[in-house]
Formats: sequence, structure tokens, C-alpha cells
Amino acid sequence: MERYNDFAVEDFVWDDFFRQWTLAPTPETDAVWENWIDANPEMLEKVEQAKAMVLSLRLHEPQIDDLEISQVVKQTVGRITRDYADGQPVRKMPVFSIPWLQFAASVAFIVLLGWTVYIMLIKPDETKGISTRETTKTTTTSNTKSLQEKHNNTNKTIVLTLSDGSQIRLAPQGRIRYPEKFDGARREVFLEGEAFFEIAKDSRHPFLVYANGLVTKVLGTSFLIKAYGNSGEVTVEVKTGRVSVFAQSDPQAAEKMSDKELQGVVLTPNQKIIYARDEVKMVKTLVEKPEMVVAKAEIPQFDFEDTPASDVFATIEKAYGIEILYDAQLLKDCPLTARLDSQTLHEKLSIICKAVESSYEIIDGQIVIHSRGCKN
Amino acid sequence: MNPSSFFLEVPDDRRLWQDFLAGEVGAFEKLMSGNFRALFRYGSKFTKDREFVKDSIQDLFLVLWEKRENLNPDAAVKPYLMASLRRLMHRHITSRAWVGNEPLADEESYFDMEFSVEHEYIEHESTAVRMQYLEKLLQELPRRQKEVVYLKFFQECTREQISEIMAISPQTVSNLLQIAIKHLKTHWKIEFFIFFLVHFLF
Repeated sequence: MERYNDFAVEDFVWDDFFRQWTLAPTPETDAVWENWIDANPEMLEKVEQAKAMVLSLRLHEPQIDDLEISQVVKQTVGRITRDYADGQPVRKMPVFSIPWLQFAASVAFIVLLGWTVYIMLIKPDETKGISTRETTKTTTTSNTKSLQEKHNNTNKTIVLTLSDGSQIRLAPQGRIRYPEKFDGARREVFLEGEAFFEIAKDSRHPFLVYANGLVTKVLGTSFLIKAYGNSGEVTVEVKTGRVSVFAQSDPQAAEKMSDKELQGVVLTPNQKIIYARDEVKMVKTLVEKPEMVVAKAEIPQFDFEDTPASDVFATIEKAYGIEILYDAQLLKDCPLTARLDSQTLHEKLSIICKAVESSYEIIDGQIVIHSRGCKN
Repeated sequence: MNPSSFFLEVPDDRRLWQDFLAGEVGAFEKLMSGNFRALFRYGSKFTKDREFVKDSIQDLFLVLWEKRENLNPDAAVKPYLMASLRRLMHRHITSRAWVGNEPLADEESYFDMEFSVEHEYIEHESTAVRMQYLEKLLQELPRRQKEVVYLKFFQECTREQISEIMAISPQTVSNLLQIAIKHLKTHWKIEFFIFFLVHFLF
């Protein structure tokens, strides 16, 4: 014990034997230290201080509760006891069934196969694409033979024209796979990364984009998809026309793919869907900067003079093609005088709402106006 | 601090491990639930994304199950699990960064420990100031030193266990530890006085 005779407080704090005594004292260590302190009473203060420091320094560990743990454990056990091939999600999916698990499974599967990280990252759509093709083959007669692959490794957007005349603007680092010629019942492409699609109209051959577990189905329209390999989100923004989206793991996915009608979540112009793999949900909202959908010549005059607010909202609704929910009875008594041609949609709405003492929010891709009217 | 919270907790890990290697699903389940919290805490030091930590632990156990026939039945279970999780997460983190979604430098140098000082043990103001300073010094440690200090003093790992977990030689563990403690002490002596003054003057 002599070596402790010239210890400073900080030496004690990091000394193994001292810590052991402080944190888990036994009668033996108590005896040793008490004897030593009796022989060196001048050290008592240092020992006390070091003791307080050792005891008070707590590591703050992140919390995880037993329920959360048992969920993951159950899920994992379910995965090992079940054949990968039947692909049934183990966790119960609320509202939309989301292929989060399939995604995790494909990642784990790749790891299991001993794939290198490099391959996993650079070519994930290959495995995904293959699995998609297998499922499509079993569900329909669609003929997806040799696919071409385009990887945009430049730093500019590149434009591709497909055999049906559809155009794809592929952003840098984007990767797309498509057949040389569309000859099945459906036009199908696989995307990873970001791309803007302008799809040639052909209502008898729906166009489907597969991106990170999300299927976007259209008949003829233009829209933007962002599906980066490692981001937890896929977003789809609609510019013109209507598109429907659904998760690839949706139990009715096969039906939704082949149906001539648009099923699933339907998006109209200026709407956007955020499909969050991790949070197991789809959120419908508006694109950041909604644009007017009417032809230039038909853009209305946004020059209002004592116009009832209800008429103003009707004009905006028509110009942007976004549904606005408001109480027409209440708002017809709220006159508005303003010139609103240069502002964005959100600026327009803010100005109007301020003028007529109301507020607005975006719910499920629609604009909802809250107002108490202007009668008093 | 919870002494021995980690390495002495589950004495039958060895038996579970061997049953699991023999293909017993029940043992696999117990092994995973028994170690989940500790692995989660360790994994959380490398990222703030708790879902990512949970996914990684799941991946880890799926991989272990898949290659159970080739695993060493006499492996030291906990260090082995921690080492494997560490490897797996680092691989994912580097690859994420590679694609440009996350800043590489940040993630790589990341080892996050959060401390809380329990004031019930502190009677003197001077001790409180020392504690504050100590916390600051701990946070300043480079990543690897921080990890060694964490495993040694907060997970009560031995030198050999640390060496296995971090995949470095036992000698390197000792060296890192020595440098870290030296940093915690020397800086203390020089700067403590100034820190003390600043604390009371302003």
C-alpha cells in the first residue's frame, strides 16, 4: 500500500484497486483501506474527494425498454425459423404494410452471402431488381427479359428516351434499369437515386417504377422520384397527371400492379408522398413549391378587389389543382383586396389567411382552411 | 456507475452459446435478449440513430445464426458479440459515408459518451468543479482512447477483452489507456487551477 502514500486525488480516481474498493467494497478491501488511512490520516481528505468523484461520475446510457427488445428478438427469431422465400413480414404492419422488413432482409441476406460492402452499395438494385422480377413472373405474364442498365456517373443530369417515347431525366449517381423494348402488359423500370419521369400516355400499358420497395404506377404523367440506396425515405412528387403508389410488400400489390385503374394512394399534381421505411408509414403532403397546373393562357388574374375569400380560394384551387377545404358559407362574408400574382402558393395562402384572420394547414396533401368567419 | 454491470451479469452465456451453436432456437432467443441491452448501449456510442443500432444488432444475430457451424464454441461470448457488432456497424457507417449520405470524418471519429454527475455524493463545491472539469477532459479524448476508457472503467473489461473487442493487441490497449489517463491527469494539474478560477470569477 506504500505506493499510495504520495497519491493525488486524480491518481486515486483512475486507480483500479481504489475504484474496486469504492464501487464494490468487500470486508477485505474495507479492512485494507481503513488500515492504510489510519496510518496516513493526512490522506483522508483526498480519499474522500476521490471517492465522491468515482461514485458521482455516471455514464448516461441510452434507454431501451424490454418491450422494444422483445419485439426485435421475436422478429429475428421469426426470421430464422421461417423460410426467407415466403417473405411474410413478421411484424404486424399498421395501415400500410411496408417492406421495411423485406429491405432489412435483403440487406441481411446480402451480408449473409458474404457480399462486400462495395457491391452492396453500388449495385443494390440488382438484387432488388432480381427479386422483383421473380415476383412479377409468378403473378403475371409480364415478360421482363434482358434489362439495360444506365448509371449516371457524370455530375450532370442525363436524359434517356425509352422505347415507348417516355423520357427520364436521371440525376447524377442515379441508376436505372429498363427493357430495351416494352412488350409485356406493363412497362416496368427499376430506379435507385433521383429521376424525373415524363411518361408517354398509354392507358392500356401502365408504367411502373420500382424504387426501394415502393411501387409508383402511372398511366401517363410526369413526376419526380427520389430513392437513394441508403436513405430511409422514398419521395414521389407529381407534376402533372395522377399516379398511384403502394409498397411492394403490400398483400394486394400484384392486384394493384395489374389493375387498369389506379389503386393504392393516389397522388394528384403538386402532391408528394414521403414513404419512410424506418417509421413504417406513408405521408401525403404537398411539394415544396407547388406550381400552377393550368395552361399559361388560362392562368387566372390574381387581382382581387373586395372579392369574397371563398371565391379567392376557389380560384387558387383551380389554378394549382390542389383541393382546398374551406367553409364557403363563412368565408363569403370575408372580403379580400390583394394582388397575388407573383407569390408562391404558400405566400398567397399566408397573405389571405392573415387578411381574413384564419389559418391553414396541409393535411394529407390537401389544404385545410381554419376560419371563424368575418361577420363580427 | 454500475460496477460489473456487463461482464458478470449472465453466468450461463457460455452454455447458451454452445446450445445456440447446436442449433437451438430457444438458446438463440435467450442469448439475444440477454445481451441486447448491453449491445444496444455499446452500439449507441457510434451513432445517434437508435433504429440503426437495433437493425445492426438484428443483422449481427442473423449472421451468427447463419454461420453458427463455423463459430468457436469456446469464444468469450460477450467480447465476441461486442467485437462483431463493432465491426458490422463500422462497415455500415463507412459505407453509408461512402455514398455521400453522411459526413465520413464525423462518423468515423464518433464515440459518444454522455455523463451525468450524481450530486448526492458531492459535499464540497471544489469537488463539483473538479467533476465538471473531469467531464470536459473525458469528452476531449480522441475516439480510440475514449473507447478504451469506456470499456475499461465503465464496462469493467479486462485488457484482453478490450483487445478482442477493438481488434488491437493487448499492448496497444495498455498504451492507449496509459496515454488517456496521462491526459486526464496532467491536464488536470496544469489547467485545473485556471478552470477553477474562471468558474468562480465569472
